[in-house]
Amino acid sequence: MLNYNSPINETKDFNNLKMSEESPIMKLVIRGKKREFISKVGKLLNILLPNEPNTSTVGNNISALWLSPDEWMIHSNDKIDKNNNMYPIEEDLINNIHKINLGAITDVTDQFTMIKMEGSQIYELFSNSCPFNFNDFKKKKGAVTQTIINKIDVIIHNKEINVVNLLVRRSFSSHLWSWLNDGAKRI
Amino acid sequence: MFIINCPYCGEREQSEFKAGGEAHIVRPKQPTELSDDEWAEYLFMRKNIKGVQFERWVHIHGCRKWFNMVRDTSNDQIHAVYKMGEKPPVK
Ligand SMILES: [Zn+2]
Repeated sequence: MLNYNSPINETKDFNNLKMSEESPIMKLVIRGKKREFISKVGKLLNILLPNEPNTSTVGNNISALWLSPDEWMIHSNDKIDKNNNMYPIEEDLINNIHKINLGAITDVTDQFTMIKMEGSQIYELFSNSCPFNFNDFKKKKGAVTQTIINKIDVIIHNKEINVVNLLVRRSFSSHLWSWLNDGAKRI
Repeated sequence: MFIINCPYCGEREQSEFKAGGEAHIVRPKQPTELSDDEWAEYLFMRKNIKGVQFERWVHIHGCRKWFNMVRDTSNDQIHAVYKMGEKPPVK
């Protein structure tokens, strides 16, 4: 975790909607096409990379989100040490995958902001400015989608029914946070 | 506004996508042997027909993958969606 000040420093509690930033969370984007890549990542992380589109797997310590047929986001389930920006998992992946050109490992810990949202009004709020159809998504635990909210690219992970992780690029997080707050007051 | 069936993510709204022009344009094997006119033809000249057209699209706000689409430009009806490298479906 590098030294930065998050633009989101508050927890918001509206009627049927609670939101706050989850930080610091380790986040990696891994890319690879070969079957060997998928099995090796599986062994190293003790987690099965989801190959079904728009899904995720949650392990004991980390979660893997499907982003594309050859791209996944790996993030820690718990908060990590604030004063460290090397992670054993990342080192393992770099040594065993990156260095032999089996795939690419990118640390996006500080590139993405994770907003945790809880409550029954999450999808009402998103739907104010999002083209994605949440009908099936909200019932399916583990569902993942990339889409746009208020023209901002986001990754949405349905962790539990009515509990969502919203991942957004850090430079957009302040803007999205204001928009979410503004919308939440009206639902 | 219309729905596009991304070959990787499934049905999504058009605003998640970007159009990338005409599909299946083959780069000439010997560019040096082409005349300026032929080279310009390859580089710049694109069809713009009213009717069924073969196009490239990218799911820019989703999986960020390119794919091909057969679309009727007059009414936005999509006849087929297929992955890059795959042969276009016969009409
Ligand atoms: Zn897609």
